[in-house]
Amino acid sequence: MVKPASLAEHLECHQVSRRGFLKFCALTTSMMALSPSMMPAVARALEKARRPSVIWLSFQECTGCTESLTRSHSPTIENLILNYLSLDYHHTLQAASGDAAERAREAAMSENYGQYILAVDGSIPVKDGGVYSTIAGVSNLEMLQHTVAGAAAVVAIGSCAAFGGLPHAHPNPTGAVPVQELVHDKPVVNVSGCPPIPVVISGVLAHYLTFGRIPDLDSYGRPLSFFGASIHDRCYRRPYYNKGLFAETFDDEGAKNGWCLFKLGCKGPTTYNACATAKWNQGTSFPIQSGHGCIGCSEPHFWDAGGFYQPLSAGIGSVGTLAGMAVVAGAAAGTAAGRLHQAKRKQAQRQHEKVTVADLEETDS
Amino acid sequence: MTVSVERGIQTLKEHIDAPVASFFTTCVHCGMCADACLFYTETKDPKYTPIYKLKPMRRLWHQEYTFWGKLAAKLGLSKPVTAAELKEWEELVYDSCTMCGRCSMTCPVGNDIVYMIRKMREGMVAAGFAPEGLKAATKRAITIGSPMGVKLPALKNQIKHIETDTGLTIPVDVNGAEYMALLSSMEIMNFPEYIGAIAKIFHSAGISWTLASDAFEATNSGIQIGSSDLAAELVARVVAAAERLKVAYVISPECGHAYMALRWEGPNLIGRPFSFKVIHILELLDQLRAQNRLPVTGKIKEKLTLHDPCQIVRRGGVVDEPRRLLDMVAADFEEMEDHGVMNWCCGGGGGVSANERASKLKLTAFNRKRHQLEALGVNTLITACANCRITLEEGLEFNNMDVVVLGLAETLAEHLEQQTSSSATTATQ
Repeated sequence: MVKPASLAEHLECHQVSRRGFLKFCALTTSMMALSPSMMPAVARALEKARRPSVIWLSFQECTGCTESLTRSHSPTIENLILNYLSLDYHHTLQAASGDAAERAREAAMSENYGQYILAVDGSIPVKDGGVYSTIAGVSNLEMLQHTVAGAAAVVAIGSCAAFGGLPHAHPNPTGAVPVQELVHDKPVVNVSGCPPIPVVISGVLAHYLTFGRIPDLDSYGRPLSFFGASIHDRCYRRPYYNKGLFAETFDDEGAKNGWCLFKLGCKGPTTYNACATAKWNQGTSFPIQSGHGCIGCSEPHFWDAGGFYQPLSAGIGSVGTLAGMAVVAGAAAGTAAGRLHQAKRKQAQRQHEKVTVADLEETDS
Repeated sequence: MTVSVERGIQTLKEHIDAPVASFFTTCVHCGMCADACLFYTETKDPKYTPIYKLKPMRRLWHQEYTFWGKLAAKLGLSKPVTAAELKEWEELVYDSCTMCGRCSMTCPVGNDIVYMIRKMREGMVAAGFAPEGLKAATKRAITIGSPMGVKLPALKNQIKHIETDTGLTIPVDVNGAEYMALLSSMEIMNFPEYIGAIAKIFHSAGISWTLASDAFEATNSGIQIGSSDLAAELVARVVAAAERLKVAYVISPECGHAYMALRWEGPNLIGRPFSFKVIHILELLDQLRAQNRLPVTGKIKEKLTLHDPCQIVRRGGVVDEPRRLLDMVAADFEEMEDHGVMNWCCGGGGGVSANERASKLKLTAFNRKRHQLEALGVNTLITACANCRITLEEGLEFNNMDVVVLGLAETLAEHLEQQTSSSATTATQ
């Protein structure tokens, strides 16, 4: 098979229309929080982009991240972008096994040394010399160090690779650590989430293909454009929170009316991710929309952050009354301040001195 | 009554309304407006970031209308707006802003930045910090009736020439005409072809129209300098003439801000609805085109492009009309990369061209247009604003570029089919 020369041709082979491609570019542009006028530039860059080599290493993980990417109902463009990458080594997806598989990795590394993108899912055990997870007799730690040497950038996919995830949870028997604790001399992008949203992964790769560098990151090393706002701030149930309307149990009136799940342990206010806007299963829904609170899977140490059904504010009294009172007090203060400001503006208007030609005389001294 | 910082601040206080408060509150400091502004893109000087041009007004809002701001001001943690500061900002608010409104288009939270610049200028005028050139132009507009000092005899003189050239009568002060046409001084003095062009087209289409001897000037320097009081006075003159002549429509000429001043700001400035409708000449020509009353022959063969005047296109919504009109006479029309509502300003709008101090900066900003033209490699540029046209011609000459600038109305008039029947002639009577 002849490898397609550019992404545009590749998409055409897969019968993705020009319109579909541009829609993807527009979505990617907006998801990456770029100016709308950048859209044509993104389209041009992606059209011309060459197949970058990607080596995907899986360490202490559950394959959920790969599942998230590959399990789409229909071949999405994200998926095709992923297919389009020269995925030269991936345990789960590659046909080769044993020595042949490891040779493929060595070959990809030497052919594209200094150029390839290293994708990692899963955390790396470092306790007792890293003996707790090995591949082909090589410890994860050693394989990472070996492979990262020739990488242009590292994308840590999923909360395990980004923050340690489940293996890192107390008491962390294997001494699991995230990629960023081991890699210091290469740019690392953390695409956290358990699993992460597919479009975030494709967005990061599209950004790299378009601009040749990794996107702007937040303090946890996550792409700011996707992790810049909390789930809570973008949640369609937010108005209920503002009004103090909460579901108390999963089967009460509030739950049926779709009220805020804060009291049922929703971690939306402290979780930064794009679930509420990008959603899951091709924009169908996200956990809160299907009636369950956010568990905060894209935040560091979320496994150790208390029960999933424990409200964030547990222990400080009745949230409903308190929030209600705060809202009333806030509204009252706001209205009073508004009136005051309006009066001030009206007064300024009453004192208005009409501007005349005389006022245009030279005043500069 | 004299201008002073106190008066300026008082004026700003009266103009900080709910939209301004919400814009300042929601600004996320992303800086995306910088890349939308040609004064930033051509100089890369961060002080030209549009939102930064509003800094004193923003601080005043914070100090006067927010809890923490008031507290900080009381504790002496935030200093009051001073004369020196306003003086410093004069250049940012006037010289480096053409009020083109491109920044408002790119703001991700939808803040109308140019709306705030317009309000900031209100305060600047009251504080006495407006550019001398713009002050002088406004003074002439109020006292003489035209920012360029054009008086009625000068117009009459031009009319005489045009009548000789075209063999048509230019109607003045015709009671009950359907349309009252306005002109900009720039057209009367520099591009009188426009008057001949509309006379020919209207004659051919059988339109009853007139000029008003006491309100022929369309430009509104009050809007440019940013004083609602002065702008209202200029609008009131046009309204009085239109109502005296009992016209149904007032035609805004090929001038950008005149259209915005009369159509969008006008009724708000005088505080009541107009008894007539305001229509831009391009809108009227496009209506004539749709009714087959604008027969043209022949097409311009060489490649040409269109410069969109910001106030007509982005701020005015007249986007498709010039393109449909141009299609009738242009065989090879190519768009610039950023066009229509995302066009780039010529660099001379919003009073910049009346402000001599800004001329160097204006020519620097013109580089944006230069690059756009060079990318297309055209030698003909059509536009529909006399002020754009003069700015473009200046920029082209400065850069030794061989590009001809033409007005759209006169281009159409040149291709107008010659009259064969007398039906149209009788219709004008």
